[in-house]
Amino acid sequence: MENKKKTGTTYLNPYLGGFLFGLVLLATFIITGRGMGASGAVKSTVAEAVNTVAPSHAEQSAYYSKFVADDAHPMNTWLVFEVLGMLAGAFLSGLVFNRLKFKVEHSPKITSRRRLIFALSGGALFGIGSQLAKGCTSGAALSGMAVLSLGGFITMMAIFGTAFVFAWVFKKNWI
Amino acid sequence: MDRRYTILAILAIVLAAGLLVIPDKSKTKETSPESMLLAVNDPARFITTDDVTERIIGGDPTLQLIDVRPADQFNKFALPGAVNIPLDSVLSPSYTELLNQPGKKNVFYSNGDTDADAAWQLCKRLKTDNIYVMKGGLNLWFNTIIKGAEPVSTASGNDLDLYSFRQAARQFFTGQGQVVGTPKADEVKKPVKVNVVKKPVEESSGGGC
Amino acid sequence: MTGPLIPMGVIPQSWDNVFAVLLGMGFGFVLEGSGFSSSRKIIGTFFGYDFVVLKVFFTAAITAMIGLLYLSQIGWLDYSLLYIHPTYLASAIIGGIVMGIGFAMGGFCPGTSFCGVAIGKIDAMLFVAGLYLGVFIFSEAFPLFEKLYNSGFRGSVLVSDSLGMSKALFAFLLTLAAIGMFFGATWLERRIKKVEY
Repeated sequence: MENKKKTGTTYLNPYLGGFLFGLVLLATFIITGRGMGASGAVKSTVAEAVNTVAPSHAEQSAYYSKFVADDAHPMNTWLVFEVLGMLAGAFLSGLVFNRLKFKVEHSPKITSRRRLIFALSGGALFGIGSQLAKGCTSGAALSGMAVLSLGGFITMMAIFGTAFVFAWVFKKNWI
Repeated sequence: MDRRYTILAILAIVLAAGLLVIPDKSKTKETSPESMLLAVNDPARFITTDDVTERIIGGDPTLQLIDVRPADQFNKFALPGAVNIPLDSVLSPSYTELLNQPGKKNVFYSNGDTDADAAWQLCKRLKTDNIYVMKGGLNLWFNTIIKGAEPVSTASGNDLDLYSFRQAARQFFTGQGQVVGTPKADEVKKPVKVNVVKKPVEESSGGGC
Repeated sequence: MTGPLIPMGVIPQSWDNVFAVLLGMGFGFVLEGSGFSSSRKIIGTFFGYDFVVLKVFFTAAITAMIGLLYLSQIGWLDYSLLYIHPTYLASAIIGGIVMGIGFAMGGFCPGTSFCGVAIGKIDAMLFVAGLYLGVFIFSEAFPLFEKLYNSGFRGSVLVSDSLGMSKALFAFLLTLAAIGMFFGATWLERRIKKVEY
Protein backbone atom coordinates (compact mmCIF):
# COMPACT_ATOMS: atom_id res chain seq x y z
CA MET A 1 0.00 0.00 0.00
CA GLU A 2 2.73 2.34 1.00
CA ASN A 3 4.63 1.48 -2.13
CA LYS A 4 1.69 2.23 -4.26
CA LYS A 5 1.31 5.76 -2.94
CA LYS A 6 4.94 6.60 -3.33
CA THR A 7 5.90 5.03 -6.59
CA GLY A 8 2.56 4.60 -8.26
CA THR A 9 3.09 0.90 -8.65
CA THR A 10 2.09 -2.27 -6.83
CA TYR A 11 4.11 -5.31 -6.02
CA LEU A 12 3.09 -8.73 -4.89
CA ASN A 13 3.22 -9.38 -1.20
CA PRO A 14 6.81 -10.62 -0.74
CA TYR A 15 5.72 -13.81 1.00
CA LEU A 16 3.13 -14.56 -1.66
CA GLY A 17 5.71 -13.77 -4.33
CA GLY A 18 8.25 -15.99 -2.60
CA PHE A 19 5.75 -18.80 -2.22
CA LEU A 20 4.79 -18.65 -5.91
CA PHE A 21 8.45 -18.43 -6.82
CA GLY A 22 9.10 -21.50 -4.68
CA LEU A 23 6.29 -23.37 -6.43
CA VAL A 24 7.76 -22.54 -9.84
CA LEU A 25 11.15 -23.74 -8.63
CA LEU A 26 9.56 -26.89 -7.19
CA ALA A 27 7.78 -27.56 -10.48
CA THR A 28 11.07 -27.10 -12.31
CA PHE A 29 12.74 -29.70 -10.12
CA ILE A 30 9.81 -32.11 -10.40
CA ILE A 31 9.62 -31.83 -14.16
CA THR A 32 13.23 -31.50 -15.22
CA GLY A 33 15.22 -32.66 -12.22
CA ARG A 34 17.28 -29.50 -12.10
CA GLY A 35 16.86 -25.95 -10.95
CA MET A 36 16.61 -22.53 -12.49
CA GLY A 37 19.49 -20.55 -13.85
CA ALA A 38 20.34 -17.36 -15.59
CA SER A 39 24.10 -16.99 -15.93
CA GLY A 40 24.34 -20.32 -17.73
CA ALA A 41 22.31 -18.87 -20.58
CA VAL A 42 24.80 -16.00 -20.87
CA LYS A 43 27.65 -18.47 -20.91
CA SER A 44 26.19 -20.58 -23.68
CA THR A 45 25.34 -17.56 -25.82
CA VAL A 46 28.87 -16.22 -25.40
CA ALA A 47 30.35 -19.60 -26.24
CA GLU A 48 28.03 -19.91 -29.22
CA ALA A 49 28.82 -16.41 -30.44
CA VAL A 50 32.56 -16.94 -30.20
CA ASN A 51 32.16 -20.28 -31.92
CA THR A 52 30.35 -18.58 -34.81
CA VAL A 53 32.78 -15.68 -35.17
CA ALA A 54 36.01 -17.56 -34.57
CA PRO A 55 35.45 -21.31 -34.54
CA SER A 56 39.13 -22.19 -34.37
CA HIS A 57 39.61 -19.91 -31.39
CA ALA A 58 36.68 -21.48 -29.60
CA GLU A 59 38.07 -24.92 -30.23
CA GLN A 60 41.47 -24.05 -28.85
CA SER A 61 40.24 -22.22 -25.80
CA ALA A 62 40.18 -24.39 -22.72
CA TYR A 63 36.92 -22.88 -21.54
CA TYR A 64 34.77 -22.59 -24.66
CA SER A 65 35.74 -26.02 -25.85
CA LYS A 66 34.02 -27.48 -22.77
CA PHE A 67 30.71 -26.15 -23.97
CA VAL A 68 31.14 -25.92 -27.71
CA ALA A 69 32.21 -29.51 -28.10
CA ASP A 70 28.86 -30.61 -26.75
CA ASP A 71 26.81 -27.61 -27.72
CA ALA A 72 23.81 -29.90 -27.97
CA HIS A 73 24.13 -30.38 -24.22
CA PRO A 74 20.57 -29.94 -22.94
CA MET A 75 21.61 -27.90 -19.91
CA ASN A 76 22.92 -25.08 -22.04
CA THR A 77 20.10 -24.74 -24.51
CA TRP A 78 17.57 -25.37 -21.77
CA LEU A 79 18.71 -22.29 -19.91
CA VAL A 80 18.57 -20.16 -23.04
CA PHE A 81 14.93 -21.14 -23.57
CA GLU A 82 14.25 -20.56 -19.91
CA VAL A 83 15.68 -17.04 -20.07
CA LEU A 84 13.59 -16.30 -23.15
CA GLY A 85 10.57 -17.40 -21.14
CA MET A 86 11.72 -15.22 -18.26
CA LEU A 87 11.85 -12.16 -20.47
CA ALA A 88 8.33 -12.88 -21.67
CA GLY A 89 7.06 -13.52 -18.14
CA ALA A 90 8.60 -10.37 -16.75
CA PHE A 91 7.21 -8.38 -19.66
CA LEU A 92 3.74 -9.76 -18.90
CA SER A 93 4.09 -8.83 -15.26
CA GLY A 94 5.25 -5.35 -16.24
CA LEU A 95 2.19 -5.09 -18.44
CA VAL A 96 -0.17 -6.29 -15.73
CA PHE A 97 1.25 -4.01 -13.05
CA ASN A 98 1.76 -1.14 -15.47
CA ARG A 99 5.51 -0.80 -15.12
CA LEU A 100 6.61 -0.84 -18.76
CA LYS A 101 8.73 2.23 -19.24
CA PHE A 102 12.22 3.02 -20.51
CA LYS A 103 14.15 4.59 -17.70
CA VAL A 104 17.39 4.60 -15.78
CA GLU A 105 16.73 4.01 -12.14
CA HIS A 106 19.22 5.68 -9.84
CA SER A 107 19.61 7.57 -6.60
CA PRO A 108 18.93 11.32 -6.96
CA LYS A 109 22.47 11.90 -5.70
CA ILE A 110 24.14 10.46 -8.78
CA THR A 111 23.88 10.98 -12.50
CA SER A 112 22.43 8.47 -14.95
CA ARG A 113 25.87 8.16 -16.48
CA ARG A 114 27.46 7.11 -13.21
CA ARG A 115 24.65 4.64 -12.62
CA LEU A 116 25.12 3.09 -16.06
CA ILE A 117 28.87 2.78 -15.65
CA PHE A 118 28.36 1.09 -12.31
CA ALA A 119 25.70 -1.20 -13.78
CA LEU A 120 28.06 -2.24 -16.57
CA SER A 121 31.00 -2.92 -14.28
CA GLY A 122 28.77 -4.64 -11.73
CA GLY A 123 27.48 -6.84 -14.51
CA ALA A 124 31.00 -7.66 -15.64
CA LEU A 125 32.03 -8.65 -12.12
CA PHE A 126 28.89 -10.72 -11.73
CA GLY A 127 29.67 -12.40 -15.04
CA ILE A 128 33.18 -13.34 -13.92
CA GLY A 129 32.04 -14.43 -10.47
CA SER A 130 29.21 -16.55 -11.77
CA GLN A 131 31.58 -18.50 -14.03
CA LEU A 132 33.96 -19.04 -11.17
CA ALA A 133 31.23 -20.26 -8.82
CA LYS A 134 29.53 -22.20 -11.67
CA GLY A 135 26.24 -20.46 -11.10
CA CYS A 136 24.67 -17.20 -9.99
CA THR A 137 22.11 -16.29 -7.38
CA SER A 138 19.42 -18.31 -9.14
CA GLY A 139 21.42 -21.27 -10.42
CA ALA A 140 23.82 -21.80 -7.54
CA ALA A 141 22.38 -20.05 -4.51
CA LEU A 142 18.61 -20.47 -4.83
CA SER A 143 18.40 -23.77 -6.72
CA GLY A 144 21.30 -25.06 -4.67
CA MET A 145 19.57 -24.18 -1.41
CA ALA A 146 16.34 -25.84 -2.52
CA VAL A 147 18.16 -29.18 -2.86
CA LEU A 148 20.31 -28.53 0.22
CA SER A 149 23.56 -28.31 -1.76
CA LEU A 150 26.46 -27.28 0.41
CA GLY A 151 27.94 -25.28 -2.47
CA GLY A 152 24.65 -23.42 -2.86
CA PHE A 153 24.66 -22.30 0.76
CA ILE A 154 28.29 -21.25 0.61
CA THR A 155 27.76 -19.24 -2.58
CA MET A 156 24.63 -17.65 -1.11
CA MET A 157 26.45 -16.55 2.03
CA ALA A 158 29.45 -15.30 0.07
CA ILE A 159 27.27 -13.23 -2.29
CA PHE A 160 25.04 -11.67 0.32
CA GLY A 161 27.78 -11.20 2.89
CA THR A 162 30.03 -9.40 0.44
CA ALA A 163 27.21 -7.42 -1.08
CA PHE A 164 26.17 -6.25 2.37
CA VAL A 165 29.64 -4.82 3.04
CA PHE A 166 30.11 -3.33 -0.40
CA ALA A 167 26.62 -1.83 -0.51
CA TRP A 168 27.76 0.49 2.27
CA VAL A 169 30.96 1.25 0.35
CA PHE A 170 28.82 2.36 -2.61
CA LYS A 171 26.13 3.83 -0.39
CA LYS A 172 26.01 7.06 -2.33
CA ASN A 173 24.87 5.19 -5.42
CA TRP A 174 21.79 3.90 -3.72
CA ILE A 175 20.41 6.18 -1.02
CA MET B 1 -1.63 -7.56 9.88
CA ASP B 2 0.88 -9.14 12.22
CA ARG B 3 -1.60 -11.76 13.23
CA ARG B 4 -1.89 -13.04 9.66
CA TYR B 5 1.85 -13.41 9.45
CA THR B 6 1.97 -15.20 12.78
CA ILE B 7 -0.54 -17.73 11.49
CA LEU B 8 1.46 -18.17 8.29
CA ALA B 9 4.66 -18.59 10.26
CA ILE B 10 3.07 -21.24 12.46
CA LEU B 11 1.75 -22.99 9.36
CA ALA B 12 5.22 -23.03 7.83
CA ILE B 13 6.77 -24.39 11.01
CA VAL B 14 4.13 -27.10 11.28
CA LEU B 15 4.72 -28.09 7.66
CA ALA B 16 8.47 -28.25 8.19
CA ALA B 17 8.02 -30.21 11.40
CA GLY B 18 5.82 -32.63 9.47
CA LEU B 19 8.93 -33.68 7.56
CA LEU B 20 10.42 -34.93 10.80
CA VAL B 21 7.32 -36.93 11.62
CA ILE B 22 6.27 -38.65 8.41
CA PRO B 23 8.11 -41.86 7.57
CA ASP B 24 10.85 -41.53 5.03
CA LYS B 25 10.17 -43.93 2.20
CA SER B 26 12.98 -42.60 0.08
CA LYS B 27 15.56 -44.37 2.20
CA THR B 28 16.38 -47.48 0.27
CA LYS B 29 17.50 -50.06 2.77
CA GLU B 30 20.65 -50.63 0.83
CA THR B 31 23.56 -52.66 2.01
CA SER B 32 26.55 -50.49 2.76
CA PRO B 33 29.43 -50.80 0.29
CA GLU B 34 31.65 -52.29 3.01
CA SER B 35 29.34 -55.12 3.96
CA MET B 36 28.51 -55.67 0.29
CA LEU B 37 32.21 -56.18 -0.41
CA LEU B 38 32.48 -58.62 2.47
CA ALA B 39 29.43 -60.52 1.27
CA VAL B 40 30.72 -60.71 -2.30
CA ASN B 41 34.05 -62.09 -1.16
CA ASP B 42 32.48 -64.66 1.12
CA PRO B 43 32.68 -68.03 -0.68
CA ALA B 44 29.73 -69.18 1.42
CA ARG B 45 27.40 -67.53 -1.04
CA PHE B 46 28.14 -70.29 -3.52
CA ILE B 47 26.55 -73.67 -3.40
CA THR B 48 27.79 -76.58 -5.49
CA THR B 49 25.79 -78.42 -8.09
CA ASP B 50 26.21 -81.62 -6.10
CA ASP B 51 24.79 -80.00 -3.01
CA VAL B 52 21.83 -78.67 -4.94
CA THR B 53 21.26 -82.11 -6.43
CA GLU B 54 21.39 -83.72 -3.06
CA ARG B 55 18.86 -81.30 -1.68
CA ILE B 56 16.54 -81.75 -4.61
CA ILE B 57 16.63 -85.50 -4.22
CA GLY B 58 16.36 -85.32 -0.47
CA GLY B 59 13.34 -83.06 -0.88
CA ASP B 60 14.82 -80.32 1.27
CA PRO B 61 11.77 -78.16 2.10
CA THR B 62 13.88 -75.08 2.69
CA LEU B 63 15.36 -75.12 -0.79
CA GLN B 64 13.92 -72.69 -3.30
CA LEU B 65 15.53 -72.77 -6.70
CA ILE B 66 15.28 -69.55 -8.69
CA ASP B 67 15.88 -69.86 -12.42
CA VAL B 68 16.96 -66.43 -13.63
CA ARG B 69 17.10 -67.36 -17.32
CA PRO B 70 14.53 -66.03 -19.78
CA ALA B 71 11.13 -67.73 -19.68
CA ASP B 72 11.55 -69.61 -22.99
CA GLN B 73 14.69 -71.32 -21.76
CA PHE B 74 13.01 -72.08 -18.48
CA ASN B 75 10.13 -73.72 -20.30
CA LYS B 76 12.46 -75.97 -22.26
CA PHE B 77 14.26 -77.26 -19.23
CA ALA B 78 14.56 -76.38 -15.61
CA LEU B 79 15.59 -78.02 -12.40
CA PRO B 80 12.65 -79.63 -10.62
CA GLY B 81 10.78 -77.25 -8.34
CA ALA B 82 12.52 -74.17 -9.70
CA VAL B 83 10.68 -70.87 -9.98
CA ASN B 84 11.37 -68.74 -13.01
CA ILE B 85 12.29 -65.13 -12.26
CA PRO B 86 14.12 -63.75 -15.31
CA LEU B 87 17.07 -61.56 -14.37
CA ASP B 88 15.40 -58.37 -15.53
CA SER B 89 12.51 -58.85 -13.12
CA VAL B 90 14.43 -59.96 -10.07
CA LEU B 91 13.77 -56.62 -8.40
CA SER B 92 10.13 -56.53 -9.43
CA PRO B 93 7.94 -55.93 -6.38
CA SER B 94 5.81 -58.97 -7.24
CA TYR B 95 8.69 -61.25 -6.30
CA THR B 96 9.84 -59.53 -3.12
CA GLU B 97 7.60 -61.67 -0.99
CA LEU B 98 8.71 -64.88 -2.67
CA LEU B 99 12.36 -64.03 -2.19
CA ASN B 100 11.91 -63.04 1.42
CA GLN B 101 10.17 -66.08 2.86
CA PRO B 102 11.60 -66.84 6.25
CA GLY B 103 13.50 -70.10 6.47
CA LYS B 104 13.82 -70.51 2.71
CA LYS B 105 17.15 -70.72 0.99
CA ASN B 106 16.97 -69.08 -2.40
CA VAL B 107 19.45 -70.55 -4.85
CA PHE B 108 19.87 -68.61 -8.06
CA TYR B 109 21.02 -70.43 -11.13
CA SER B 110 21.44 -69.64 -14.80
CA ASN B 111 23.28 -71.40 -17.61
CA GLY B 112 26.63 -70.20 -16.35
CA ASP B 113 27.48 -68.11 -13.31
CA THR B 114 27.09 -64.59 -14.64
CA ASP B 115 23.34 -64.02 -14.59
CA ALA B 116 22.80 -65.83 -11.34
CA ASP B 117 25.57 -63.82 -9.77
CA ALA B 118 24.07 -60.58 -11.07
CA ALA B 119 20.72 -61.52 -9.56
CA TRP B 120 22.43 -62.35 -6.30
CA GLN B 121 24.15 -58.96 -6.19
CA LEU B 122 20.94 -57.09 -6.97
CA CYS B 123 19.08 -58.85 -4.20
CA LYS B 124 21.95 -58.60 -1.76
CA ARG B 125 22.08 -54.84 -2.20
CA LEU B 126 18.46 -54.72 -1.13
CA LYS B 127 19.36 -56.75 1.92
CA THR B 128 17.67 -59.97 0.88
CA ASP B 129 19.02 -62.71 3.10
CA ASN B 130 19.35 -66.42 2.48
CA ILE B 131 20.38 -66.12 -1.14
CA TYR B 132 22.97 -68.27 -2.85
CA VAL B 133 24.37 -68.91 -6.29
CA MET B 134 24.65 -72.37 -7.79
CA LYS B 135 28.29 -72.36 -8.79
CA GLY B 136 28.85 -73.33 -12.42
CA GLY B 137 25.20 -73.04 -13.30
CA LEU B 138 23.18 -75.49 -15.32
CA ASN B 139 26.14 -76.21 -17.59
CA LEU B 140 28.20 -77.59 -14.75
CA TRP B 141 25.19 -79.32 -13.29
CA PHE B 142 24.55 -81.06 -16.58
CA ASN B 143 28.19 -81.96 -17.12
CA THR B 144 28.70 -83.40 -13.67
CA ILE B 145 25.37 -84.95 -12.83
CA ILE B 146 23.95 -86.01 -16.16
CA LYS B 147 27.11 -86.53 -18.16
CA GLY B 148 29.46 -87.19 -15.27
CA ALA B 149 32.50 -89.10 -16.45
CA GLU B 150 33.57 -92.21 -14.66
CA PRO B 151 36.63 -91.53 -12.53
CA VAL B 152 39.80 -93.38 -13.31
CA SER B 153 40.39 -96.49 -11.31
CA THR B 154 43.15 -94.89 -9.31
CA ALA B 155 40.82 -92.16 -8.06
CA SER B 156 40.42 -91.65 -4.34
CA GLY B 157 37.59 -93.09 -2.38
CA ASN B 158 35.96 -89.70 -2.15
CA ASP B 159 35.90 -89.38 -5.91
CA LEU B 160 34.40 -92.77 -6.27
CA ASP B 161 31.73 -91.97 -3.70
CA LEU B 162 31.00 -88.75 -5.50
CA TYR B 163 30.70 -90.60 -8.74
CA SER B 164 28.28 -93.12 -7.37
CA PHE B 165 26.26 -90.31 -5.88
CA ARG B 166 26.14 -88.59 -9.22
CA GLN B 167 25.19 -91.78 -10.94
CA ALA B 168 22.36 -92.29 -8.52
CA ALA B 169 21.30 -88.70 -9.07
CA ARG B 170 21.41 -89.20 -12.81
CA GLN B 171 19.07 -92.08 -12.39
CA PHE B 172 16.82 -89.87 -10.32
CA PHE B 173 16.68 -87.18 -12.93
CA THR B 174 16.64 -89.23 -16.10
CA GLY B 175 15.25 -92.53 -15.03
CA GLN B 176 18.23 -94.39 -16.41
CA GLY B 177 21.77 -95.04 -15.40
CA GLN B 178 23.26 -94.26 -18.76
CA VAL B 179 24.38 -90.94 -20.11
CA VAL B 180 21.62 -89.42 -22.15
CA GLY B 181 21.12 -86.41 -24.31
CA THR B 182 19.43 -83.28 -23.13
CA PRO B 183 16.86 -84.27 -20.59
CA LYS B 184 13.28 -83.28 -21.19
CA ALA B 185 11.37 -81.34 -18.61
CA ASP B 186 8.71 -84.02 -18.20
CA GLU B 187 11.32 -86.68 -17.77
CA VAL B 188 13.02 -84.69 -15.13
CA LYS B 189 9.89 -84.35 -13.13
CA LYS B 190 9.43 -88.09 -12.95
CA PRO B 191 9.94 -89.07 -9.36
CA VAL B 192 12.36 -91.93 -9.08
CA LYS B 193 13.20 -93.52 -5.82
CA VAL B 194 16.87 -93.39 -5.33
CA ASN B 195 19.19 -94.26 -2.57
CA VAL B 196 20.97 -91.05 -1.91
CA VAL B 197 24.59 -91.50 -1.19
CA LYS B 198 25.55 -88.98 1.41
CA LYS B 199 28.63 -87.18 0.38
CA PRO B 200 31.29 -87.80 2.93
CA VAL B 201 33.35 -84.64 3.05
CA GLU B 202 32.76 -80.89 3.17
CA GLU B 203 30.10 -79.88 0.68
CA SER B 204 28.06 -77.80 3.03
CA SER B 205 30.35 -75.26 1.38
CA GLY B 206 31.22 -73.39 4.50
CA GLY B 207 28.29 -71.66 6.08
CA GLY B 208 26.46 -71.82 2.81
CA CYS B 209 23.46 -73.61 4.09
CA MET C 1 8.78 -43.14 -7.73
CA THR C 2 7.65 -41.17 -10.71
CA GLY C 3 9.65 -38.01 -10.46
CA PRO C 4 11.58 -36.09 -11.67
CA LEU C 5 9.35 -36.49 -14.70
CA ILE C 6 11.68 -35.92 -17.64
CA PRO C 7 14.71 -37.87 -16.31
CA MET C 8 12.37 -40.74 -15.40
CA GLY C 9 10.92 -40.68 -18.90
CA VAL C 10 7.36 -39.89 -17.78
CA ILE C 11 7.46 -36.83 -20.01
CA PRO C 12 9.44 -37.25 -23.23
CA GLN C 13 12.74 -35.40 -23.52
CA SER C 14 11.46 -33.43 -26.49
CA TRP C 15 9.19 -31.44 -24.19
CA ASP C 16 12.19 -30.16 -22.29
CA ASN C 17 12.44 -26.83 -24.08
CA VAL C 18 8.70 -26.25 -24.00
CA PHE C 19 8.80 -26.53 -20.24
CA ALA C 20 11.88 -24.32 -20.20
CA VAL C 21 9.89 -21.50 -21.75
CA LEU C 22 6.81 -22.06 -19.57
CA LEU C 23 8.74 -22.35 -16.32
CA GLY C 24 10.89 -19.41 -17.33
CA MET C 25 7.76 -17.37 -17.83
CA GLY C 26 6.55 -18.24 -14.35
CA PHE C 27 9.97 -17.39 -12.98
CA GLY C 28 10.07 -14.03 -14.77
CA PHE C 29 6.51 -13.12 -13.85
CA VAL C 30 6.98 -13.80 -10.15
CA LEU C 31 10.35 -12.08 -9.98
CA GLU C 32 9.08 -8.96 -11.70
CA GLY C 33 5.82 -9.03 -9.78
CA SER C 34 7.72 -9.12 -6.50
CA GLY C 35 9.71 -6.06 -7.50
CA PHE C 36 13.00 -7.66 -8.49
CA SER C 37 13.18 -5.53 -11.62
CA SER C 38 14.08 -2.50 -9.53
CA SER C 39 17.69 -2.33 -8.43
CA ARG C 40 16.98 0.14 -5.66
CA LYS C 41 14.32 -2.14 -4.24
CA ILE C 42 16.72 -5.08 -4.35
CA ILE C 43 19.58 -3.22 -2.76
CA GLY C 44 17.20 -1.98 -0.02
CA THR C 45 17.87 -5.26 1.78
CA PHE C 46 21.40 -4.14 2.56
CA PHE C 47 20.37 -0.75 3.94
CA GLY C 48 17.33 -2.12 5.70
CA TYR C 49 14.66 0.01 4.05
CA ASP C 50 13.18 -2.83 2.02
CA PHE C 51 13.73 -6.48 2.81
CA VAL C 52 11.82 -7.81 -0.16
CA VAL C 53 14.81 -9.77 -1.54
CA LEU C 54 15.40 -11.51 1.74
CA LYS C 55 11.73 -12.36 2.13
CA VAL C 56 11.13 -13.56 -1.42
CA PHE C 57 14.43 -15.41 -1.68
CA PHE C 58 14.08 -17.34 1.54
CA THR C 59 10.36 -18.02 1.16
CA ALA C 60 11.07 -19.46 -2.28
CA ALA C 61 13.99 -21.57 -1.09
CA ILE C 62 12.02 -22.95 1.86
CA THR C 63 8.91 -23.67 -0.21
CA ALA C 64 10.86 -25.58 -2.84
CA MET C 65 13.01 -27.33 -0.27
CA ILE C 66 10.10 -28.51 1.88
CA GLY C 67 8.10 -29.52 -1.19
CA LEU C 68 10.97 -31.58 -2.58
CA LEU C 69 11.56 -33.27 0.75
CA TYR C 70 7.89 -34.16 1.17
CA LEU C 71 7.74 -35.64 -2.32
CA SER C 72 10.93 -37.55 -1.70
CA GLN C 73 9.80 -38.88 1.68
CA ILE C 74 6.46 -40.13 0.43
CA GLY C 75 8.37 -41.79 -2.39
CA TRP C 76 7.16 -39.82 -5.38
CA LEU C 77 10.45 -38.26 -6.28
CA ASP C 78 13.90 -39.77 -6.54
CA TYR C 79 16.10 -37.26 -4.74
CA SER C 80 19.22 -38.89 -6.15
CA LEU C 81 18.17 -37.95 -9.68
CA LEU C 82 18.01 -34.24 -8.88
CA TYR C 83 20.85 -32.05 -10.01
CA ILE C 84 22.69 -31.09 -6.86
CA HIS C 85 24.91 -28.08 -7.44
CA PRO C 86 28.44 -29.43 -6.92
CA THR C 87 30.59 -27.97 -4.20
CA TYR C 88 33.90 -26.38 -5.14
CA LEU C 89 34.87 -24.77 -1.88
CA ALA C 90 37.44 -22.21 -3.00
CA SER C 91 35.81 -21.14 -6.23
CA ALA C 92 32.37 -20.93 -4.62
CA ILE C 93 33.64 -18.54 -1.97
CA ILE C 94 35.80 -16.40 -4.27
CA GLY C 95 33.21 -16.43 -7.02
CA GLY C 96 30.60 -15.48 -4.44
CA ILE C 97 32.72 -12.57 -3.24
CA VAL C 98 33.24 -11.31 -6.78
CA MET C 99 29.51 -11.63 -7.41
CA GLY C 100 28.79 -9.83 -4.14
CA ILE C 101 30.87 -6.83 -5.23
CA GLY C 102 29.15 -6.86 -8.60
CA PHE C 103 25.82 -7.07 -6.84
CA ALA C 104 26.56 -4.03 -4.68
CA MET C 105 27.78 -2.06 -7.70
CA GLY C 106 25.18 -3.09 -10.25
CA GLY C 107 22.20 -3.70 -8.01
CA PHE C 108 21.08 -6.74 -9.95
CA CYS C 109 21.84 -10.38 -10.24
CA PRO C 110 21.58 -12.07 -13.65
CA GLY C 111 18.01 -13.29 -13.19
CA THR C 112 16.68 -9.98 -11.95
CA SER C 113 18.54 -8.00 -14.60
CA PHE C 114 16.71 -9.96 -17.31
CA CYS C 115 13.45 -8.93 -15.64
CA GLY C 116 14.61 -5.33 -15.62
CA VAL C 117 15.44 -5.56 -19.32
CA ALA C 118 11.96 -6.92 -20.06
CA ILE C 119 10.25 -3.87 -18.58
CA GLY C 120 12.63 -1.34 -20.08
CA LYS C 121 15.18 -0.56 -17.35
CA ILE C 122 18.17 0.85 -19.17
CA ASP C 123 20.49 0.22 -16.22
CA ALA C 124 19.45 -3.43 -16.37
CA MET C 125 20.35 -3.55 -20.06
CA LEU C 126 23.80 -2.23 -19.26
CA PHE C 127 24.08 -4.80 -16.49
CA VAL C 128 23.27 -7.59 -18.94
CA ALA C 129 25.82 -6.17 -21.36
CA GLY C 130 28.28 -6.25 -18.48
CA LEU C 131 27.38 -9.87 -17.82
CA TYR C 132 28.25 -10.83 -21.38
CA LEU C 133 31.44 -8.86 -21.11
CA GLY C 134 32.34 -10.53 -17.82
CA VAL C 135 31.69 -14.02 -19.12
CA PHE C 136 33.71 -13.18 -22.24
CA ILE C 137 36.62 -11.88 -20.15
CA PHE C 138 36.50 -14.94 -17.94
CA SER C 139 36.45 -17.30 -20.89
CA GLU C 140 39.35 -15.55 -22.61
CA ALA C 141 41.39 -15.45 -19.42
CA PHE C 142 40.37 -18.93 -18.37
CA PRO C 143 43.93 -20.32 -18.16
CA LEU C 144 44.53 -17.76 -15.39
CA PHE C 145 41.51 -18.95 -13.44
CA GLU C 146 41.70 -22.62 -14.27
CA LYS C 147 43.41 -23.72 -11.08
CA LEU C 148 41.00 -21.79 -8.91
CA TYR C 149 38.04 -22.93 -11.02
CA ASN C 150 38.72 -26.56 -10.18
CA SER C 151 40.02 -26.21 -6.64
CA GLY C 152 38.35 -27.41 -3.50
CA PHE C 153 36.11 -29.91 -5.26
CA ARG C 154 34.00 -31.84 -2.79
CA GLY C 155 31.43 -33.46 -5.08
CA SER C 156 27.71 -32.91 -4.82
CA VAL C 157 27.60 -32.62 -1.06
CA LEU C 158 24.42 -31.94 0.85
CA VAL C 159 24.68 -29.34 3.57
CA SER C 160 22.69 -31.60 5.91
CA ASP C 161 25.20 -34.41 5.42
CA SER C 162 28.17 -32.17 6.06
CA LEU C 163 26.52 -31.01 9.29
CA GLY C 164 25.71 -34.59 10.19
CA MET C 165 21.95 -34.24 10.44
CA SER C 166 19.00 -35.53 8.47
CA LYS C 167 17.62 -33.53 5.57
CA ALA C 168 14.32 -33.09 7.38
CA LEU C 169 15.95 -31.74 10.53
CA PHE C 170 18.03 -29.28 8.57
CA ALA C 171 14.97 -28.13 6.65
CA PHE C 172 13.10 -27.63 9.90
CA LEU C 173 15.93 -25.59 11.42
CA LEU C 174 16.30 -23.52 8.27
CA THR C 175 12.58 -22.79 8.29
CA LEU C 176 12.81 -21.63 11.89
CA ALA C 177 15.80 -19.45 11.04
CA ALA C 178 14.08 -17.95 8.02
CA ILE C 179 10.93 -17.14 9.97
CA GLY C 180 13.07 -15.56 12.65
CA MET C 181 14.74 -13.46 9.95
CA PHE C 182 11.38 -12.43 8.51
CA PHE C 183 10.16 -11.14 11.86
CA GLY C 184 13.48 -9.45 12.48
CA ALA C 185 13.38 -7.84 9.05
CA THR C 186 9.84 -6.56 9.57
CA TRP C 187 10.84 -5.17 12.93
CA LEU C 188 13.84 -3.40 11.41
CA GLU C 189 11.89 -2.09 8.46
CA ARG C 190 9.54 -0.25 10.79
CA ARG C 191 12.40 1.46 12.54
CA ILE C 192 14.48 2.46 9.54
CA LYS C 193 13.71 5.58 7.64
CA LYS C 194 11.98 4.83 4.37
CA VAL C 195 13.87 5.68 1.23
CA GLU C 196 11.95 7.08 -1.70
CA TYR C 197 12.67 5.17 -4.89
